[in-house]
Amino acid sequence: MGEETQSRAEWVSGALERYEQPLIRYACRYTGDMELARDVVQDTFLKLCKADRAKIERGLAGWLYTVCRNRALDVRKKEGRMGLIKDAQAVADPDESARPSSVAARRQEHAMVLEALESLPGDQQEAFRLKFQDHLTYREIGQVMGKSLGTVSRLLTKALESIRGQLRVGMDLAQETQS
Amino acid sequence: MKPEMNDEKLTAYVLGELEEEGRRAVEEALETDEIARRTVAELRTTVKLAEEALAPAEPPALTDAQREEIERRAQAAPARKPAWVWWGAAAAALLVIVAIGAAGGIAVLGKAKQAEHRSFDSDQKFFSPIFLDETASMETDVATRPEGANVVLGGARKASLARGRHSVDLLKQIDGRPGWTDVPDKSDWAGHDTEAYDHIVDNPFLAVAQNPLSTFSIDVDTASYSNVRRFLSQESMPPKDSVRIEEMVNYFSYDYAPPKGPDPFSVHVEVAQSPWSPGHRLARIGLKGREVEASARPPSNLVFLLDVSGSMTPPSKLGLLKKALKMLVGQLDERDRIAIAVYAGASGLVLPSTSCDDREAILDALSRLEAGGSTNGGEGIELAYETATKNFITGGVNRVILATDGDFNVGTTSQGDLQRLIEKKAETGVFLTVLGFGMGNLKDATLEKLADKGNGNYAYIDSLAEARKVLVEEMGGTLVTIAKDVKIQVEFNPERVHAFRLIGYENRLLAAEDFNDDTKDAGEIGAGHTVTALYEIVPAGQDVDLPGVDPLKYQKPMGKTGAAASGELFTLKLRYKMPDGDTSKLIERPVTDIGESWAEASNDFRFAAAVAGFGMLLRDSSFKGTATYASILALAEKALGEDPRGYRKELLGLVSSAKKLSGK
Repeated sequence: MGEETQSRAEWVSGALERYEQPLIRYACRYTGDMELARDVVQDTFLKLCKADRAKIERGLAGWLYTVCRNRALDVRKKEGRMGLIKDAQAVADPDESARPSSVAARRQEHAMVLEALESLPGDQQEAFRLKFQDHLTYREIGQVMGKSLGTVSRLLTKALESIRGQLRVGMDLAQETQS
Repeated sequence: MKPEMNDEKLTAYVLGELEEEGRRAVEEALETDEIARRTVAELRTTVKLAEEALAPAEPPALTDAQREEIERRAQAAPARKPAWVWWGAAAAALLVIVAIGAAGGIAVLGKAKQAEHRSFDSDQKFFSPIFLDETASMETDVATRPEGANVVLGGARKASLARGRHSVDLLKQIDGRPGWTDVPDKSDWAGHDTEAYDHIVDNPFLAVAQNPLSTFSIDVDTASYSNVRRFLSQESMPPKDSVRIEEMVNYFSYDYAPPKGPDPFSVHVEVAQSPWSPGHRLARIGLKGREVEASARPPSNLVFLLDVSGSMTPPSKLGLLKKALKMLVGQLDERDRIAIAVYAGASGLVLPSTSCDDREAILDALSRLEAGGSTNGGEGIELAYETATKNFITGGVNRVILATDGDFNVGTTSQGDLQRLIEKKAETGVFLTVLGFGMGNLKDATLEKLADKGNGNYAYIDSLAEARKVLVEEMGGTLVTIAKDVKIQVEFNPERVHAFRLIGYENRLLAAEDFNDDTKDAGEIGAGHTVTALYEIVPAGQDVDLPGVDPLKYQKPMGKTGAAASGELFTLKLRYKMPDGDTSKLIERPVTDIGESWAEASNDFRFAAAVAGFGMLLRDSSFKGTATYASILALAEKALGEDPRGYRKELLGLVSSAKKLSGK
């Protein structure tokens, strides 16, 4: 019994270590406020403490994101807040490790990606962010969004296609394709 | 038939969602299809930009108070409270309905029509974290929803039994034609996310009359055991092909006496009754590498080659990797040098070769690592070996330590190319250690082959405890190679043995003539390592169902020599080279069966046999005989011995889990 409790604590703390940051970022998309996002994520993990481990362990990422989103939407409704944090603001900080010569160009490209992303349909945006910001697998994205594997695959293909198209307008990818 | 390419398949390829076979099909198509090649290159550029654009400037975190609260509650939580499950699920489902109702009007979540469907599907979903069937997804017609709901649960249950089904469905969707369903289980979409394992076929019984020789390379890898442990501790059965029995047996160390003579390892053979086929005998061959005292350890020139691509982002990968390597650095001293190279979209040297005197600089460089971008393993490997060669210490440990989830998705990507590259690099005298990290994306087959080709060893690090075992407790074995290209050849005596079967080592088998061929690569043994191999033997005079061949028309079977009457069971021959040598040395030893019963066998013998039996059960091997999880548990329990660190005891828990999960 004691051993079981101990391993549960370890399990939760492992999940916390792995998902804390991505979940706060994710919640922030809905709450638009870092403090609220933290609260949402704390609630999510408190729920995890009580959850039936055997049932959710295999789909842990999906479970956490789903619970977190539901909680975030709940909070947002209560707080009456709208508006998402603009990623463009986050990108505005120069990346110290990049070489100075390419920093400006890179930043411009990143801004273009984010702009293109904003113009996509909601479900494509969601899938896109879950893939490239949260690094979830198709399977996990499907679980969070309640979509089939096939739908996730289509959403991501379409999203990448549109963004690729818009980037191509803005710059010449041709040189990078040969390598 | 050449599979047709489309953007959806290429996207799945670039995102690492394709399984081995599908990946190969795409790679094949890429060789001839210019448009597909351009598309892939563009996709990769876009993916890289997207990951960079979405990476946060400053990682957010919970407040300390919030963390503490969670940790306190996790401690206090009851181990199991079944009643709560249903309440919890119902409450969660309720939350979904409320939340989605609120979200209906918000652009982020899309159309209100979807929200309405979602509320229905969502509550089903909470009872099973497994992916929903496409047939029951939200696109289901409203009128057929009640049936749809049944399919959801049925489908999910089926999926839990036969994973990989969705893959076929999905491929059909991508392809729009049914031809892909012909692809067997190991099709493009893995049952376990995108993990990749090579198919293993159990070694069969061979008749000594036709096959008197058995030849194989030793293997000190342990990755399969920790990977199996990861699956079982997540309460799911490991895929059969992830179970390599020799790696499970070799995960444990055995109390074989160290060598006394000039040879770098000692050889111990024991023969006793087989526990799962009582008429048969089991022969255990045990090797024990010479121990090297910490003070006598040769100086090391280590190059860490670290995967910092996007897929390594989760703390369970990069975070664990950093901690693991810091532990290793803690073991090293002023004799040693460390360089750190990374690879992602671009590869680079983060830390030039630095003396471990300057531990601060090394630890600092490790701390500053961050993940991002896609993987170009090929370039990184070139760079790491170049660095290792430049700083080569004659008579010392020269080793590249590659840490990755194995997702080499940019640059030199074809498996063949990578293996050839590594094989060439191994000629420089630099050894390789491969540390596998993470889950859901682990390319087990790739990593095992790399270690095999690169004069190396492969361990899977699933926890800090495992990192401690591999990098601290067994540091000598992991780093200091005491003999290389160690091959075993056994010649069975037809007077005593009717047939034999090598248990495990399926992908280490060698041709009989490779034994004396010093150009043929084989496994390495590290300081203090133990290596164990088991043969199941059918004694002469007993029958076993063997696939026979017709008698030859032009030749008579070879006759027996006078030595056949010696009473010996078999002759064991070993060949090895010193770590920096080119010519092999031969050890030869005749073995006689003194008729030991199971009860008389040593603890080590019985434990190794129990682990092998467990492996056979996990693989659902047709050779498992009378073994059951319960019988293995009983056997292992009585063979724990001293087990100072509790590794053997841990096995008991895994066998119990497997018993419960399999319902057998």
